[in-house]
Amino acid sequence: MVQTLSPLHWFGQFGVDRDLIRRVLAEATTHGADDADLYFEHTEATSVGLSDGAVNRAHTTVDLGVGVRVVLGDQVGYAFTEDLSPASMLKAARTAAAIARDGGAAVPQFIESVRDLPSFYPVDRHWSDVDLSQRVPMVRDWEARAFAKDPRIRKVNVSLGDADKHILVARADGTVVADYRPMTRAFVSCTAVDGDARESGAYNVASRGDLSYYAEDRQERLVSVSVERALRALTAGSPPAGEMPVVLAAGSSGILLHEAIGHGMEADFNRKGISIYADKQGKRIAPEGVTIVDDGTLPSARGSINVDDEGSEVEKTVLVRDGILEGYLQDRISARHYGVPSTGSGRRESFRHPVLPRMRATYMEAGTHTPEEIIGSVANGLYCEVFANGAVQIGAGDFSFYVRHGRLIENGKLTEPVKDVNLIGFGPKVLEAIQMVGNDLEIDEGGWTCGKAGQGVPVSQGMPTVKVGSLSVGGGR
Amino acid sequence: MDTPEKLLELAESVLKSSEAAGADEALVAVSRGSQVSIERRGGKVEQATESTTRGLVLSVLSDDRFSSNSTSDLRPEALKAFIQKSVASTRYLEPDPARRQPDPALCGRGVSEETLDQDDPAWRTRTADERAEQAEAIEKLLLELPRTDRISCSSYVSDGRAESVRVMSNGFRGAEAGAWFAAGGDMTLEEGDRRPESGAWFAARHLADLPSAASIAQEIERRVTERLGSKAAPSGTYPMVLANRSAGRILGVLGGPMSGGSIHEHRSCLEGKLGASIGSELFTLIDDPTIPRGLGSRPWDGDALMAKPRTLVERGVLKQYNIGVYYGRKLGMEPTSGGRSNWVVPPGVVPLAELLAALPKAILVTGFLGGNSNGSTGDFSFGIRGTMLEHGEPAGALSEMNVTGNVTDIFQRLVAVGDDPWEWSSVRSPTLIFDDVQFSGT
Repeated sequence: MVQTLSPLHWFGQFGVDRDLIRRVLAEATTHGADDADLYFEHTEATSVGLSDGAVNRAHTTVDLGVGVRVVLGDQVGYAFTEDLSPASMLKAARTAAAIARDGGAAVPQFIESVRDLPSFYPVDRHWSDVDLSQRVPMVRDWEARAFAKDPRIRKVNVSLGDADKHILVARADGTVVADYRPMTRAFVSCTAVDGDARESGAYNVASRGDLSYYAEDRQERLVSVSVERALRALTAGSPPAGEMPVVLAAGSSGILLHEAIGHGMEADFNRKGISIYADKQGKRIAPEGVTIVDDGTLPSARGSINVDDEGSEVEKTVLVRDGILEGYLQDRISARHYGVPSTGSGRRESFRHPVLPRMRATYMEAGTHTPEEIIGSVANGLYCEVFANGAVQIGAGDFSFYVRHGRLIENGKLTEPVKDVNLIGFGPKVLEAIQMVGNDLEIDEGGWTCGKAGQGVPVSQGMPTVKVGSLSVGGGR
Repeated sequence: MDTPEKLLELAESVLKSSEAAGADEALVAVSRGSQVSIERRGGKVEQATESTTRGLVLSVLSDDRFSSNSTSDLRPEALKAFIQKSVASTRYLEPDPARRQPDPALCGRGVSEETLDQDDPAWRTRTADERAEQAEAIEKLLLELPRTDRISCSSYVSDGRAESVRVMSNGFRGAEAGAWFAAGGDMTLEEGDRRPESGAWFAARHLADLPSAASIAQEIERRVTERLGSKAAPSGTYPMVLANRSAGRILGVLGGPMSGGSIHEHRSCLEGKLGASIGSELFTLIDDPTIPRGLGSRPWDGDALMAKPRTLVERGVLKQYNIGVYYGRKLGMEPTSGGRSNWVVPPGVVPLAELLAALPKAILVTGFLGGNSNGSTGDFSFGIRGTMLEHGEPAGALSEMNVTGNVTDIFQRLVAVGDDPWEWSSVRSPTLIFDDVQFSGT
């Protein structure tokens, strides 16, 4: 297993040491502050791609820099630099410090306290130690498997990307933590042609794992699901338009939670009073039996983090327990506002971005119904299986998600395949309309990225099969 | 690394080192930029960020094997290792001669720096106090509005400047610089269980082109007030009035299928449709990278091909795809340009108000919420925000509705084009009116 040595070990090679950290933090807090931190990041990402039968492209990216943040109440001064020289870092610190120029609380002297972290994503090997020559045959094999599955598959596009991300958070209170965050994502997309009809299908898997993540069953699923989706889309149509009962399949349906409630539970929106859930703490917002969590600790999940991006401990946070809204996703600024501990939800895309409360892995706990019972209970409705993306308006409460593949439900049975339909609803109304929760919770293995305020962070989501009484379906007929 | 000369010097030296390391062809782009932003809420600065950023991109072709690479670690020893690794990584790949650089005769500046006028000198003299005052002015106007239903309002001001140089083995040398300025804000109101929100955001190449704080605040209030009392209308087909500022979302559905990559991959609903009708006579779409002060303007494209205006759709007929050098070679087609610049829909002559008054009932779409499209089939389905219009007069805010259609069909339904082109985006479209569009609601 790869062991992290001292927290400063990795960034030592770029000239970062205790003395420099101390000097930069002192500069950042010249005018005083309630909080301040430095966030160092070094990321090396590689991807290889296949098209037209050849592994013919490779990309590498190196990203190195530090972000300096100074916090005064709920005010934030932020600056970053890609140049880790003392002069550049001190300049960034002076810029960030300006937020407190009208006077902030005095900051105690930095006394380093190194914290050990849990290990939610242990790996045997860093991705930078995996030679490109090992990735190329994998990618080629996935293409060969896809073509072998059906003669209607005419084009195959494959990519395999991974990253080694090292971060170091040094806080004004002396906390110093370092984390190594691996990430890998594989993507297979196929074009199927049958007469005049042409369609595409895709599947991807992602994890904070190493090369061993690609076990034979996962590789096979990566290809076969992609092929199956392309072929199925050839004959799928558009569902009817209007309100109808909707059954969400286990797995990536977690996108409903992410949009309908997850964003609205981020504490910054509530602290500012602009979330529809701002005055709902302790109140019932969903039927009994509905428990929704956001969890940063799932083993090797894409959304997991050993520590958040401002050095706080990560946990499994209950958002809704048995239908009652329990608590928000807190970063340190919001936690101070509410007088509660941080939930370890302070995240950022990179050193170029300030921290915001964000989701990690959002899912609903399993219920008691079998998926068959749930589908069987619907006379006419829509079964949603594969999702592309979603969006929400935090205050208005409207949210939507795009269903790439689904089926009609007629008389309690799954019938014709449908595709490419947007669903829209009012978050609180939809949560109240959850009528049945399945016993088949599944965390989706796909590579989801959540966007907020121009920052994308990797997340996971999951769901058991769930029945929602009514949603507006953007069908074409 | 402060002057353009230094950027060029660095780019030339990386090009030389790459060729020495075994690259037959290389492209090096070096950029640096500065950006400042201020966000105010609750009568004070909520967030102030400032940064100077830099980066280097290196694409290499070695024995016809291609890799593209980027780094922000520009320390000399790190760069040396980066170049070695970039060239070495091609060793394991298969040849792809279509990646070769274009004929230098096609490359270069297609429009003068003076015409583009992207580098407003006002950026250099703008002070922190001026930014702070602008943000404060917008917020103050929002706070002073005589409303009892205001929960929160914010204002944003940001600006930046970027400069870059590009050098290629085919002899191309280019340098460009540009500034941008943006200002806006948002407001959330209280309305029973809901908290309607809206905002407005304007961007321009020149500071003097930005709207005043007063008109920004006015627009924010107008948009959020418009959201009060929103609900879904019954499902059905209605005329769709697509607001000028929102037209980019529907026009954008054409972007994927028009690209050389999707045609090559047989994922384009427009494959084989060159010369065919994909819209009504009223539909013309031009890609114009040469618009003075345009947000999507540029002297050359991603392949360094000279910028020139191109008519993509003329009176409903598809005239051109967006074909870059790489896919042009793969498809055996002449490259046009692989990327999008400014998309322009020429405005009509009849005043918009007159066009709207003629519609007994129509759905005005002012924004989108999620949704997506399928480039292979052209199908799209988007969540919308909007207003029911009766003879051009507002008759209720709309939410929880979707619009669904097909991009090869929707422009055939284009029945009128407004006289109100939107200028705050790289998509410059007037309001567009379509007949018989499928909406889902209650």
